[in-house]
Amino acid sequence: MNQQEIIQLISQFMQEEHSGEKEFNELALQLFSYQYQNNLPYRTFCMQKGKTPRMVKTWKEIPSVPINAFKEAALSCIDPDTAEAIFMTSGTTKGIRGKHYHPSLHVYDQSMVLNFKQRFMKHTDKIRMGVLFPTEKAMPNSSLAHYLALAAKEFGTENSHYLINENGIDMNHLLKELHHAEETGEPYALIGASYSFVHMLDELASMGKTFTLPKGSKILDTGGFKNQSKELELDEFYRLLSATLGVSRSDCINMYGVTELSTQFYDDGNESVPSIKTGPHWIRTRVINPLTGEEVPKGERGVLVHCDLGNFNSVTTILTEDAGIETENGFILLGRVQGTEAKGCSIAVEEFLKATKEISE
Amino acid sequence: MKELAGYLPCIGEEEVETKILTFQKNGKSIEVEVPLLTTEQMNKVIETVKKASTDILKSFSTSEIVTIIDRAIERLLDRNSLYRQKAEELLPIVTGYDEEIIRLGLTAYLKTFRKHELQRFLVEDLGNPVLLDDFQPRVKGGFSKAIGPTLITHIWSGNVPALPLWSLISGLLVKAGNIGKAPSSEPLFSSWFAHLLVEVEPRLADCFAIVWWKGGDEEREASIFEQSDVVVGYGGNASLQSLQNRMPVTTRFLPFGHKISFGVVSQSSLDSRKAWKSVHQAALDVIRYDQQGCYSPHIFYVQHGGNVSPREFARLMANELENFQRRFPRRDLSIEESVSLSSWRQKEEMTILAHPQNEILGNETNDWTVVYEEHNIHFAPSSLNRVIKVISFENIEDILSSISPHRSYLQTVGIAADPKELFEWADSLGKIGVTRITALGSMTSPEAGWHHDGRFNLLDLVNIVDIESSAKESSEQFAPYVD
Repeated sequence: MNQQEIIQLISQFMQEEHSGEKEFNELALQLFSYQYQNNLPYRTFCMQKGKTPRMVKTWKEIPSVPINAFKEAALSCIDPDTAEAIFMTSGTTKGIRGKHYHPSLHVYDQSMVLNFKQRFMKHTDKIRMGVLFPTEKAMPNSSLAHYLALAAKEFGTENSHYLINENGIDMNHLLKELHHAEETGEPYALIGASYSFVHMLDELASMGKTFTLPKGSKILDTGGFKNQSKELELDEFYRLLSATLGVSRSDCINMYGVTELSTQFYDDGNESVPSIKTGPHWIRTRVINPLTGEEVPKGERGVLVHCDLGNFNSVTTILTEDAGIETENGFILLGRVQGTEAKGCSIAVEEFLKATKEISE
Repeated sequence: MKELAGYLPCIGEEEVETKILTFQKNGKSIEVEVPLLTTEQMNKVIETVKKASTDILKSFSTSEIVTIIDRAIERLLDRNSLYRQKAEELLPIVTGYDEEIIRLGLTAYLKTFRKHELQRFLVEDLGNPVLLDDFQPRVKGGFSKAIGPTLITHIWSGNVPALPLWSLISGLLVKAGNIGKAPSSEPLFSSWFAHLLVEVEPRLADCFAIVWWKGGDEEREASIFEQSDVVVGYGGNASLQSLQNRMPVTTRFLPFGHKISFGVVSQSSLDSRKAWKSVHQAALDVIRYDQQGCYSPHIFYVQHGGNVSPREFARLMANELENFQRRFPRRDLSIEESVSLSSWRQKEEMTILAHPQNEILGNETNDWTVVYEEHNIHFAPSSLNRVIKVISFENIEDILSSISPHRSYLQTVGIAADPKELFEWADSLGKIGVTRITALGSMTSPEAGWHHDGRFNLLDLVNIVDIESSAKESSEQFAPYVD
């Protein structure tokens, strides 16, 4: 099967209302076989695990690639130089960023739009938006910049704006927008990075300003705090957001996505935290014990493995370093698994790395 | 199940608050209650211990103290004794290690604190053990006596069972009052030992205390350090650094940081008949306490040129680890440890793409991992929990250069080599910072009287008081019998 055919299949699949286990499985295996054939580093990886398309019978058996591999190898079915877009991770280890190659953004965009409409927009077609994140132009390799730009383009009214400039949050502009919403009663959506919301909350608090945004207003935050702002407890974060902007916590939606995927997960508001995240029918998640690769019993902590059919060019199945608990229809995201300290008196890898860094500096 | 940890001297009728630490393994769980003193209570404990150290402990002779410790250790070696049974039952739950590994480990370890070993320990450091009891004549003239501190505070850490005994026994041998902060990950053994000592010799009741507080409690630590003569600290460099920042310049601080150890295997030990034994011993060093000790190996450097190649050594090692997994299964890992282990392993799997001659051996459930590397000599820690690298080399010089930058982290090297190589290699390794050379299979059980991290266990604790010959001579003129 060639790339065009694959794209077409996925595109059709996404447009279906639902998919059963059988249909998902079928397409996942087709994709696995396509990727095994065309993605050379992935094939080597699979062969090392002794897994070939002939042996893999369900999507759960597809070898999952650790996200760090995106830093080490060009996981792509096409020549990486011909990719239309390359999304890179922001977290760097030793200055190396993980790269996700997209031959075209057709599938990514379709995945985002269908899903965003259903989970964030719901019954609204367009809403006036403020974006708390830099533009695509400023960050050409950021999947989040692309995601937010797409959101504004597809679902924002023409009066939607970016509220970030080179100095950070453009507070004047933001205040103007918030006042405008309060005065006119036109629902308003603020979307952006979680840490930008923290900066915004700090600014508004120092000005002593709070707002009551009109009904239908909503908030979308994503990405966590990533050492870019102070770390707030989730509960505190949503309490402050809700109290400062007058948006109910059930209209504060958190999106969970990673550069290495083409599909995002959402919760249905953050009335209580941690919330349950779910994705559309073209992505499925397993919660596993990283040592055995087996699923952990329901209700126990494990590590998330996502199988995203939107990832047609790289690898469908990735092993994250995010901890979670499987629930009836999704998973509770517990955040990134932190490194371990030494149990005994033998040095732990992290302490050693830190020391080595000091030596080489 | 509930167990009380800690030991307090008599500080009057006091309500002592406790903190409960919970441990679980295989569905069994145990709640350990540790004493959490108020500042006033802590100060009372310090005062009591210091007084008893001066009035009581210092009145014992060294050989009396040796006998008391020996009796306590004898009880712990007796598998029918109460504390030994508690240890065998509870420590596997608290630390997660396999029962048999703990049982064998305890016996091997406790044996090094019997009377004759303690005597050797004393002679090793002091030359003349009576130096702690009385002024002894010096070869250069004059007299000297070793005086132990009034109070030693021990900050213990880590889950290797019974590890706090080293410094606690050293403190007792120099007749110091001792306050130990029990490690959160194994708070029991030091407490049991304290109770046992008092059962053997009730007069010691006020000479020590085992307490607990949350690490990093700055105010508390500063106050305790202020009142201690010596502080012995165990832990990572970051936490040791923060202890040091709170240490008054007048308090002697002896930090023992986390260390990294490894093995070196000469081609002379790799004939087809002897190699399997070396591998067996090396594998034992790996499985004991799942490499959590500072003396546990992270890497084995194996020399080319023997009948058994380094690659075969790695495969034999894999075989041994698989066998051991059945007999002495690895501790259950937390999700954090599992992630760190699997991401370590994934990283190794990636390097195979660039270095196809490497090999990664392991079973399906990642209970153990052996990574074999050729033409790529380097030095990096393993993620532990039965993860070991075998790296091939030609000449010893080739490995030294990659190890030497990490001087301050080096400790034990397990060696299999002929006598000539042993001494030559020991010399080279010593120069780059290694402080202990031992046989494969002995890495995790240092001999009695070893020099922990190259230092003196007892000498570093004491002060030597000199009576110079001039004082002695001059005193003669004031003698009542002077003519």
